[in-house]
Amino acid sequence: MISKRFVIKRLLLLIPVLLGVATFVFAILHLSPGNPARVIAGQRASEEFVQQVERELGLDDPIWVQYGRFLFDAIQLEFGQSYSIQKGTPVTQVLSDRLPVTLEMAIYGQILGILFGIPLGIISAVKQNTATDHLTRVGALTGISVPIFWSGPLLILFFAQFLGVLPTSGRIATEYSVQTITGIITVDTLLVGDVDAFVSAARHLLLPSLVLGIYQMALISRMMRSSMLEVVRQDYMRTARAKGQGVKITTLKHGFRNALIPVITVIGIQFGTLLGGAVLTETVFGISGIGTLLVSAIRVGDYPVVQGTVLLFAFLFTLVNLGVDITYSYLDPRIEQ
Amino acid sequence: MSTETQSEDVTSRGFVERLRASPFLSELLSNRLAVVGLAIIGGMVVTAVASRLLLDAGALSSSQFGTNPSLQGPCGERAIVDIFASAGSCGSYPFGTDVQARNIFHRTMYGAWLALKYGTITVGASTVLGVGLGTLAAYYGDVTDNVIMRSMDVLLAFPALLLALALVAIFPEDWGLWRAVAALTLVYTPRFARVVRGAALKVLEDEYIDATVALGAKDPRVLVRHILPNSLAPITVQSTLNFGLAIIDLAALSFLGFGASVGTPSWGLMLSNGVEQGLLTGQWWWSFFPGLFLAVTVLGFNLLGDGMRDALDPRMRETVD
Repeated sequence: MISKRFVIKRLLLLIPVLLGVATFVFAILHLSPGNPARVIAGQRASEEFVQQVERELGLDDPIWVQYGRFLFDAIQLEFGQSYSIQKGTPVTQVLSDRLPVTLEMAIYGQILGILFGIPLGIISAVKQNTATDHLTRVGALTGISVPIFWSGPLLILFFAQFLGVLPTSGRIATEYSVQTITGIITVDTLLVGDVDAFVSAARHLLLPSLVLGIYQMALISRMMRSSMLEVVRQDYMRTARAKGQGVKITTLKHGFRNALIPVITVIGIQFGTLLGGAVLTETVFGISGIGTLLVSAIRVGDYPVVQGTVLLFAFLFTLVNLGVDITYSYLDPRIEQ
Repeated sequence: MSTETQSEDVTSRGFVERLRASPFLSELLSNRLAVVGLAIIGGMVVTAVASRLLLDAGALSSSQFGTNPSLQGPCGERAIVDIFASAGSCGSYPFGTDVQARNIFHRTMYGAWLALKYGTITVGASTVLGVGLGTLAAYYGDVTDNVIMRSMDVLLAFPALLLALALVAIFPEDWGLWRAVAALTLVYTPRFARVVRGAALKVLEDEYIDATVALGAKDPRVLVRHILPNSLAPITVQSTLNFGLAIIDLAALSFLGFGASVGTPSWGLMLSNGVEQGLLTGQWWWSFFPGLFLAVTVLGFNLLGDGMRDALDPRMRETVD
């Protein structure tokens, strides 16, 4: 179905984008005020010591030498060591510890969004201009308009403070210590067969995923609705009906399948929004994932961590978009031309 | 003098008449949700201007112990907690007071001014930059197009809020909210450039552009007089929808500590203080009211933007049978 040429072409197109991304990140960090050597040496260190640190890091080399070294290291996924957050730990290690935390939350959020967003969008389109449609549309618009850092606290207030049924922050109750296997806590607890720990982890995950999921649901249902409305006007829909097929079957078999294509694109593109939202969600719920890592790294000037995190996010985002493009061409072969 | 007024009357009448005749506007105004959005935005603008004129920004930013009652809940809560509390006492503090005894009602109102002011500047700046880059890319094509759009692609390779976070680090901390404005302008510019480029390419196919060029019009004239006005519709929709996004993102950056400087009555900062200090100790009103205003304002822009898009795309109006 998908031609190899198309995939190879898309993969090759990744190279200039990733090179641009890397260059951009390098430029940003070199434009930032503050001396990394000063951050490492400490605020009270002598000028000589700071200069010595600069020499050790190669920060006194010409900029193009530093750039070349940066690119060479980046290709080998080598981003140096953390200056202050986890002093001395390689950035790749810090990132691989934290990434599963963020991904877990994002994936559950995405699943919730898809599970509720798609049916809502279809119902809204099928019942266009009825009360149900208006309600769903206003609901979806509200879902997009409510910032995560307000809906999060509201949910905490209601479920954790008022009802007292869910925990306010963290990933798992303190009495459980789970061995890290995949880093995805709901999977790890199941792998070691600790059901109680799993329930605790799931309860901690519920609100953060819900906050992310509400936003995704709103976006997906809007896209699903307009995509359905677009598709039901196509000739093949009329043909199917003219052949005597029932409304429901036509809608689901011909309408839904075709309408799903642009929705998949949106789901992919919105993965970036999800990652951005993760920064806020993690801050609200006190979860130490990649988002909170980035925020604290920027705050204390831990440049290697900032560099690594931003590059990782951009890389993930680009990769997901590539996946979307390939899926898209599989679903709709006309795209390749 | 009289002739001047007369001619002004004529042009203004012409303008109103033209607006009335426009199918876009009548379509937009017949959309109830869009009108609600318009009303919300109108209300916020009035609130913003009034609080800018009437409130003392200094008193909103610094602590007010001694002047205001410390730690007062909002009216409703007082009524629940102490049903016999004198009704008059909450009159000046309908949203209660915060950790520094500041009046949350006044701070929230003033937050509307900050949100709209900095939001407008962010959207305005990225629209101008995006329109400039997009039309240039479309009109000159080839190398210009490639250089501009490929650089935009690099910026689009980052999730928006993360790019803004990385960019904020470049600007000095004492810029306060301007730091967030600068970062977000750079984040939004590529989106405008893409939309505008697409719209301008469509306009370029039209024959009147060839005709104008054949008549000897120079590049700037073609760009400003012909291409720009004819690609205005998608730009306006994009700007309106982006407005809501800009207000949320500005607040988000302040919430994360990379925007408004300490003490500023911006919604994002108020939410951050409320969530960090008041949420788990019972002072829900510290974060509730600023968040509510933020959400309602953004909803207003999204309702209007949606209505505008529907009005421009008549196909969406037909019913499914």
